[in-house]
Amino acid sequence: MTETFHPLVKRLLDGELSLGDLPPGLRGEGAEALRLLGAVDRTPVALSVQLEARVMAEVRRRARSPMRRIWRGLVEPRDIELRLRLRPWVVWGTALAAAAAVALLLTRPSPGPRGARPARLAARDSVYVRFVLYAPTAKQVAVAGTFNQWDRNASPLVRVGGGGVWAITLALPQGHHQYAFVVDGEQWVADPAAPGVDDGFGRRNSMVAVTARGARIL
Amino acid sequence: MGQREQATDGEVVRAVLAGDVEQYAVLVRRYRDRYARFAARMLGSLDAAEDAVQDAFVRAFDQLAQCREPAKFSGWLFLILRNRCFAERRRRTREGRALEATDEAIAGPDRPDGNVEQVEQAHALERALVDLTPEQREVFVLKHVEGLAYEEIAGMTGATVASLKMRMHRAYDRLRELLKEHS
Repeated sequence: MTETFHPLVKRLLDGELSLGDLPPGLRGEGAEALRLLGAVDRTPVALSVQLEARVMAEVRRRARSPMRRIWRGLVEPRDIELRLRLRPWVVWGTALAAAAAVALLLTRPSPGPRGARPARLAARDSVYVRFVLYAPTAKQVAVAGTFNQWDRNASPLVRVGGGGVWAITLALPQGHHQYAFVVDGEQWVADPAAPGVDDGFGRRNSMVAVTARGARIL
Repeated sequence: MGQREQATDGEVVRAVLAGDVEQYAVLVRRYRDRYARFAARMLGSLDAAEDAVQDAFVRAFDQLAQCREPAKFSGWLFLILRNRCFAERRRRTREGRALEATDEAIAGPDRPDGNVEQVEQAHALERALVDLTPEQREVFVLKHVEGLAYEEIAGMTGATVASLKMRMHRAYDRLRELLKEHS
């Protein structure tokens, strides 16, 4: 038969009561419980001085690995300078084509209420992905992910109409990206339209795979 | 070096992500000892704690791009270390190697201010802590060794205060039982 502490004694151990707050009949049990806590060893623990060197050696080795460089190349933003020599008719033709494309985009059926959707190919190695969240009570919404180094200010969504739908279209490089929405600057919300993946630390991220053929949520 | 040491966690994380790998040493120096005692008490051994802290730092580096809030790197690192401690305990259980509080530095040092009875009690408590479930042991260590409030523990672990209290109260009863068995 297990002998359990009285609930008031547990509150004593939690620091919510003092020994004097206990009824006289419980003070002996309370004193026994406090002796238990008195035996707790709180002395600091010192780790080896070589720990930092060992961690950094492993970190440097991993930073040099080809797989990591490929991954970084896929997910990290880069500044790209384009130098083009175009004939005037090409410029006008491109401008007209762009105007047509924008018109097409605007007249497309509105997307569903939620989620990351591929829109169209943006460049050779990136694709426009439309992020949509239904958040009628939100004052501001942003999307943060591996594509913007989880910067909650980098990609704010704009309210679409008056129905509580927020959206943004981003050009994402090909590869797998994890992301989440940030509502009102502090509340992280996984995309309800995309299956979440555990980030390994108890929270859920959404996944989108961007390929040359488009994007799909994972 | 001085400027590096004064940089915020967020600045350091962003620098590392941008390719300045050496800046990661700032985070290692900053947090290597903060969670060492937690790991040591969770695993019952200084050697195991050192391995866990080292693995946690390496894993955090691998996953750094997934760190949503670089300014909260320390809390994120704690979650990685915590998962690592739980995994180590599961692994040992699977292999039939129970944790043992054998390390002198962990299993109650002969403190100069303590008499023999106090030292014995500290050893007995340490042996009993090893027999708690990982979740019970975690909440006990965070509250009574690290001195955190339930609300702080809830913020770190994602558990509710009510569930933490329930876990702790079961731990009190189990410790009482174990200490009687050991004596």
